[in-house]
Amino acid sequence: MAEKDETKLCRRKFLARAGKAGISIAAAAGLSRLLYDATGPKTGVDTESLVTLQNFSVPYKAGQTMSVVKGADRVETVRKAIELLGGIERFVKPGETVAIKPNVAFASPPILGATAHPELVAEVVRLCYSRGKAKKVYVADNPIYDPASCFMLSGIGKAASEAGAKVVLPKTHFFKPTTLAGGKLIKNWPIFYEPLKNIDKLIGIAPIKDHHRAGASMSMKNWYGLLGGRRNIFHQDINTIIAELATMVKPTLVILDGTEVMMTNGPTGGSVSDLRRANTLIASCDQVAADSFGCAFLDLKPSDLPYLAKAEKAGAGTTDYDSLKPIVTTVS
Amino acid sequence: MSLMPGRARRLESAISICLLAVLILIGLVVFVKQSYVDMGRFGIGPPTGPELEIPPDLASFVPAGVEAISETEIYDSENLYEKINGRAALYTDSGFKKLFAQRFVSKDDKNLIMELYLYDMGNVRGAFSVYGVQRRADVNALPAFPVSYAYRTSNALYLVHGKYYIELVGFSESAELLGAMIETAQKIQANLAADSDTEIAELSLFPTENIVQGSVKLHLTNGLAFEGLTDTFTARYKVGDQIVTAFLSRRASAEEARNVAESYCKFLIDNGGAAKPATDKILEGNIIGFHYETYDTFEIVLSIGAFVIGVHEAQSQELAEKLALRLVNKLSKAANQ
Repeated sequence: MAEKDETKLCRRKFLARAGKAGISIAAAAGLSRLLYDATGPKTGVDTESLVTLQNFSVPYKAGQTMSVVKGADRVETVRKAIELLGGIERFVKPGETVAIKPNVAFASPPILGATAHPELVAEVVRLCYSRGKAKKVYVADNPIYDPASCFMLSGIGKAASEAGAKVVLPKTHFFKPTTLAGGKLIKNWPIFYEPLKNIDKLIGIAPIKDHHRAGASMSMKNWYGLLGGRRNIFHQDINTIIAELATMVKPTLVILDGTEVMMTNGPTGGSVSDLRRANTLIASCDQVAADSFGCAFLDLKPSDLPYLAKAEKAGAGTTDYDSLKPIVTTVS
Repeated sequence: MSLMPGRARRLESAISICLLAVLILIGLVVFVKQSYVDMGRFGIGPPTGPELEIPPDLASFVPAGVEAISETEIYDSENLYEKINGRAALYTDSGFKKLFAQRFVSKDDKNLIMELYLYDMGNVRGAFSVYGVQRRADVNALPAFPVSYAYRTSNALYLVHGKYYIELVGFSESAELLGAMIETAQKIQANLAADSDTEIAELSLFPTENIVQGSVKLHLTNGLAFEGLTDTFTARYKVGDQIVTAFLSRRASAEEARNVAESYCKFLIDNGGAAKPATDKILEGNIIGFHYETYDTFEIVLSIGAFVIGVHEAQSQELAEKLALRLVNKLSKAANQ
């Protein structure tokens, strides 16, 4: 009898079971809704947090935009090159904060010429303090390879610190996204912003190097080190990214070191036989002009490097460096 | 309203439990899988590293007076740029598989540092390609060195060992460091399985007279800036004060060689070249000249059996023809041996 009762379903039981089933389905759906991530993993960044690099350039002075100094001693040539442009006092005012962005791309020693020379970096730091009366000087770069090793083995970390600069190594939270207005590649892309955030002036220091992808690595390519993220994807469109970087970064001054030029197997080199001594250093307020001049040391013409024309078209500078009437001299 | 009998109900319960168990299992699998999502694929996390494997023990190749100052670093084609940046494409375009790198220092002098780069290029052709393209000029050969492709500069040593392209880079110019590098390279050659052929047959097909030592290069793609010339060897010759390039490329068949040679001739003519009469009938129809304001250059392209051969940018037709005929003779002799 009891079994018979269990085999029967009355309206009441039916409604109760249907209600429980409905509640279960609703709970599952509610939980799913709660856990559902409509956006998925973020591939970009929050556009509200975008930053923009300020313009660090100084007012134009006719006949004092670019200097070329010949000599083997980087300390002497850089002093003279800056002096010819009006001295560091023109670029750095007392109490200002300066960031220096040397090329520290590799964990390799100065003898290989793959990075900015430590003596050159140190001398610019000293000039900023001694003549420019800078309040603070930062030296920063974002090598993809272990930054601490790059700063140590290149000698730049030690030289800059001893000259009084604060060396800033990249950390995740030092990067902020930026977008270049009208840019094709730099869109919501992280840059090494922290050392540039509260500074007054920005100086780039780069060696002249052969570059397997770009043809040449000089002042403009040096800004590649400000990019964060998986920036190697930009190698597919190297001319555009270099031109965009030159458009985005408006430095106070660039120093292009052609004392020893990496003629082959760049940008890493590896053998001292990759280098050729050219004993020339260029200081310029116009990075496009500096690189247009510098490419001759690699036996190239400005037209061989498409990024120069692109940057010129974007208003980053001129490839016609002669029009700037560069001051050329030699130091003994 | 009657329901199922007891037996059917138990069966139904069992099926339901099984279904629930399957659903729970699926849920668990999804949960576990999601825990291991590769954020690097979305550009917001570190890239997936090279697959785990036992790397060669690089420290076992260095001399007794040298010790490691870094861990062995391993790179694959996804992250090679982290180590060598803009030069990575040169390797990845040539069959690159892995890079193993480690830094070492002399126990007696901490200023004597060297870094060993062991590139696994998949086979000897890939290794030779990156070796040849990067070969420095005016370097010191290593005649006593027991490998065919090796040279040194004042601070570095470069060689091919089977599928491996090896660089030993000294952080200073030092005889002691160079000695350690040579010893390291010799140990690698003796103890590391090459896992590949160690010789490249085509290299012996170039005539040796007037050849610029160390000038032979292998272009796996875009030989002489022509897309159709893959797997192409070039060698430079110095005759008097003139430098001229000879090239050869082995194709799958004589027919393919003919087709590639014809395509390359057409490419040259499409780019401003003009056919020139030859003084030797074997070269008839195969000479293309380029006229510039102050000088002329000559190209010769022909197929011999399964080979596409020729001469590139000769400054005189006579020089181009002489070198082309020497190449033809060398190939003919090799074919008859």
